[in-house]
Amino acid sequence: MHSAPSYSAPPREPLSNRLKSLFFNSPLDALVTLVCLFVFSYLIYSIVDWAFLSSVWRAEDEATCRETDGACWSVIDARHRIIFFGLFPYEEHWRSTVACVVMILTMIASCVSWFWTTVRLGVLWIAGFGLFYILMHGGIFGLSVITPERWGGLALTIFIFAAVSIIGMPLSVLLALGRRSKLPVIARLIGLLIDFVRSLPLLTILFTAAVITPFLLPGWLLGDKLYRVIAGFALFFACYQAENIRAGLQSIPSGQDEAGLTLGLNYWQRVSRIQLPQAFRNSLPAIVNQFVITFKETSIVTIVGFFEILASGAAAYGTGVWTVHYIEVYVFIGLIYFIFVFSLSRYGAHLEKKLRVGHA
Amino acid sequence: MPEEVKPGSVAAVTMTGVNKWFGDFHVLKEIDLSVADGEKVVICGPSGSGKSTLIRCICKLEDHQKGSINVLGTELNDDIANIDEIRREVGMVFQQFNLFPHMTVLENCTLALTLVRKKSRREAESIAMGFLEKVRIPEQSDKYPGELSGGQQQRVAIARSLCMNPEILLFDEPTSALDPEMISEVLDVMVSLAEEGMTMICVTHEMGFARRVADRVIFMDQGEIVEQNDPVTFFDHPGNERTKLFLSQILQH
Ligand SMILES: Nc1ncnc2c1ncn2[C@@H]1O[C@H](COP(=O)(O)OP(=O)(O)O)[C@@H](O)[C@H]1O
Ligand SMILES: [Mg+2]
Repeated sequence: MHSAPSYSAPPREPLSNRLKSLFFNSPLDALVTLVCLFVFSYLIYSIVDWAFLSSVWRAEDEATCRETDGACWSVIDARHRIIFFGLFPYEEHWRSTVACVVMILTMIASCVSWFWTTVRLGVLWIAGFGLFYILMHGGIFGLSVITPERWGGLALTIFIFAAVSIIGMPLSVLLALGRRSKLPVIARLIGLLIDFVRSLPLLTILFTAAVITPFLLPGWLLGDKLYRVIAGFALFFACYQAENIRAGLQSIPSGQDEAGLTLGLNYWQRVSRIQLPQAFRNSLPAIVNQFVITFKETSIVTIVGFFEILASGAAAYGTGVWTVHYIEVYVFIGLIYFIFVFSLSRYGAHLEKKLRVGHA
Repeated sequence: MPEEVKPGSVAAVTMTGVNKWFGDFHVLKEIDLSVADGEKVVICGPSGSGKSTLIRCICKLEDHQKGSINVLGTELNDDIANIDEIRREVGMVFQQFNLFPHMTVLENCTLALTLVRKKSRREAESIAMGFLEKVRIPEQSDKYPGELSGGQQQRVAIARSLCMNPEILLFDEPTSALDPEMISEVLDVMVSLAEEGMTMICVTHEMGFARRVADRVIFMDQGEIVEQNDPVTFFDHPGNERTKLFLSQILQH
């Protein structure tokens, strides 16, 4: 299959020739190329000029902002704490910072294959969430109590995303398996649940969790509004993710399960060792995509009264001299989203490559 | 190999009056078949005659609806505990190999040893390497199935079954998906297994193999066992018209 070629490949044309034939083949080609080049350079220059050359960086220099048409990054310098921490008490911001770092490290560690056993993942997540909760909520080790209504900014966004993922992922596997159950009652009921939840907008589900459940559930079952919203969000996530996983399961040839059966493996052994690994590999792009969508959808919790990063951003430019600088704030927040979402998709691409090992 | 069972004295598989339907389609009709311990049986017959279904019933990949199947003294019924017990003692080699594509060759072989036989990883690996040597492929143990040729994959699949130390090995057209030049490497492994006294039931159209190792050749057509005999009589003096027609068709090329 990989025998060395017996003839050497024809020599490549020099780069200059190839460029010429691609972009300057005819006078019209040349014209189009030049116009595009000009427009493109102008755009790049304007952006660089706005963001770096004519911009103002320090909060004290706010006054000079009015004399330049560059970006006024002073607003970030002055108000970044609101963006990152929302309504979290000022002198406790270090707790929120450490909690953020803990949660991000937990998520990064979850991506390392060494952790991919039930025990290791379990320990990692319990430790990660436990530490996050202690730092954010306080109440022990002499930390003052800060209730979830006051959590906000980046820490809240990350917490909601991590909690939804970690509750939603196992749930989605169970739903996908349940929908394929040999017992028709279970398969039907779970199918109905999945299709029902998927037919509702996320907003409705979060609203139900935040506002309506208090009328339906007894007080001791209720928990904090934040946890109800996360539970509703996780259910929504799981119903979509379950369909991605089910598609992956569906595309495994039936001979795989039969081979497992004849080796004497029981149902859970076949599911965990044969079916799920292949299902994840088969639908990895869709699964990663669902995480990306979920990260971006966390901003919707503003509607039910939480100050996640986007709402905190609005608060950051919402007062005094800063009201004109909303573009800078949104660019900054966009950059934060980009860092997370781009890392997520790069990680997905890396996984795809890694899992393709040995596959034609 | 089983010490407690004296060769020839106990039936490894007994099927009595077995019937099976797929919906309205009567796929197995009144099958009576007894395979002694250590016996090698070859089943042949036209496509769609029910050969695969028959051996899949023996390892309970299919349920039969009427009659009884007894494997190694255990009746195959709907009792889950029984089924797992039987499956551990009966190995199956498939036409499409069905290796696990996300595991290396070695991991394919050690999976059931660690999960079902509860061996330690080191023990499982040494057992698996032993069988990979037996099928003459130990140097490929770290590769993934997708990196191997069809013949190599099928030999790994045989090694994977052997790791469970089965009493009976079932083969469902093990060479039908292979390129011609790879058939003999798989048949060689099967011949050496036969010589060691393994109880084997093989669905195959490799008549050279049947002549060489089979104690009995069975011809199936339309869900029935039409004729069975020792290989010499079966090939040289077939009794039934349908057998004669089938043999003339497969021996033409
Ligand atoms: N799961 C199934 N559902 C319905 N019909 C089936 C199924 N499996 C096999 N059959 C039918 O049963 C008949 C026998 O199949 P099979 O045992 O695979 O034959 P063979 O292995 O001899 O070619 C064929 O006509 C096939 O179409
Ligand atoms: Mg068949």
